[in-house]
Amino acid sequence: MGATENQPATDQDVELLRGISEGDRWAFACFYDQYCKLLFAVAYRILNDQKESEDVLQEVFLQIWDKAGSYNPLLGKPVSWAVTLTRNKAIDYIRAHQRRSKLLEHAATEFLTRAPGSAVANDSVHGRENSELINSAVAELPADQRKAIEMAFFGGLTQNEISESLKEPLGTIKARIRRGMLKLRERLEGFV
Amino acid sequence: MIDERMEELASLHVLGLLTPPEARAFAANLARDPELQALVTSLFAARDALAGTAPAATPSPEVKHQLMAKLAARVKKPALRPTAKPAWSLPSFWLPWAVATAAVVVAVHQTLDQRNLQSTVRNQNARITELDQLADTLRGATNQLSQTVANLQSATKLADVRIALLSSLLSDSPKAVAVSLWDNQQQSGVFVVQNLKPLPADRDYQLWVIDPQYAIPVSAGVFQVDNTGNVRLHFKTDKAILTADKFAVTLEPKGGLPTPTLKNLVLMGG
Repeated sequence: MGATENQPATDQDVELLRGISEGDRWAFACFYDQYCKLLFAVAYRILNDQKESEDVLQEVFLQIWDKAGSYNPLLGKPVSWAVTLTRNKAIDYIRAHQRRSKLLEHAATEFLTRAPGSAVANDSVHGRENSELINSAVAELPADQRKAIEMAFFGGLTQNEISESLKEPLGTIKARIRRGMLKLRERLEGFV
Repeated sequence: MIDERMEELASLHVLGLLTPPEARAFAANLARDPELQALVTSLFAARDALAGTAPAATPSPEVKHQLMAKLAARVKKPALRPTAKPAWSLPSFWLPWAVATAAVVVAVHQTLDQRNLQSTVRNQNARITELDQLADTLRGATNQLSQTVANLQSATKLADVRIALLSSLLSDSPKAVAVSLWDNQQQSGVFVVQNLKPLPADRDYQLWVIDPQYAIPVSAGVFQVDNTGNVRLHFKTDKAILTADKFAVTLEPKGGLPTPTLKNLVLMGG
């Protein structure tokens, strides 16, 4: 899937959000079907609990129903907005339930234990073939950069918490994240 | 030109790592810098790809059922319905004017928020001119359709006819346009499309009717367009339609599918 082919999908997502903002339940069902697996996988990766992840997924989609009219393109594509809502809601859930120590432990070890070649959430959005290319691009990131990025996104850790956890200066962590994100963006150009 | 500091802030931003003061300052920069907006959008896309490397997991089907049930209690506003019984004593050339009138209503609705009334009037006039041209174009392709409408008129069924203008969602076929007329009493319709890309033999366009009583759209059959991208067809649906709220066209494998492929949405409107 190239960038050109991807563009109409984004237009469709914007159109679906517009429909949702007008109370169109079919548009909502379409958006749900398109992204529920991705968003659920993100929530599950953070919470590691089926029931809690389903609760978060429900809250996120109700928020999308209520707030679709205030979607801001400056916050990224519609799917990016939905991913941000899901990640933030799941992190809030962990914080609210005082599972901080579990969060730290989980974030520090999770990325090392993934079985190569196993099914991932990208399969449902990009198809298996493109998903494998994306996984390769992510896997090729230097381990220190990838770890810092995943601790931030999936672990919900702050800059200082990552710095303390990895025993590295804050400036090093920030630079590592910048280099990693730019590298990821460069390697995924044309796929996402 | 975006410097390293701004790249760093953008990277931290998409990962939710900025402190509140940093986030406020960054948002101000973001709002006024298109280059920074493009960078942030691409970094979000990279972040989404990273998010998608989470192991595949599927929510229970019950989640969707519960959500749809909750939405029923959160209806935002009633869907538009054709309500007034029109005095359809017009000659059989009414269709282009109906299309133009319907679209003008849309245009008027879209411009309500504009502050400058003169600008609004100018925009409306331009839109009316554009729609007149569209109506002229459609008139040529709908002679037979007019006959069908005349038949419907004679049977005093027009009060139940739903008219919808569908617009293109394709960046490579922006001029594609279609009109759908649905007779609820007869449970049949006429569909006219122009400027749609002709398909290879192994693909079909599939027409869908969106009725809120069904969780998924109802298929109204498959079709192909001629070499000029046009077609006019009569259609019926697989299930009884109570309210034809919207119409959509998707690109599907030959023969169509029982549910629409959302990634291949081509036309939509209502």
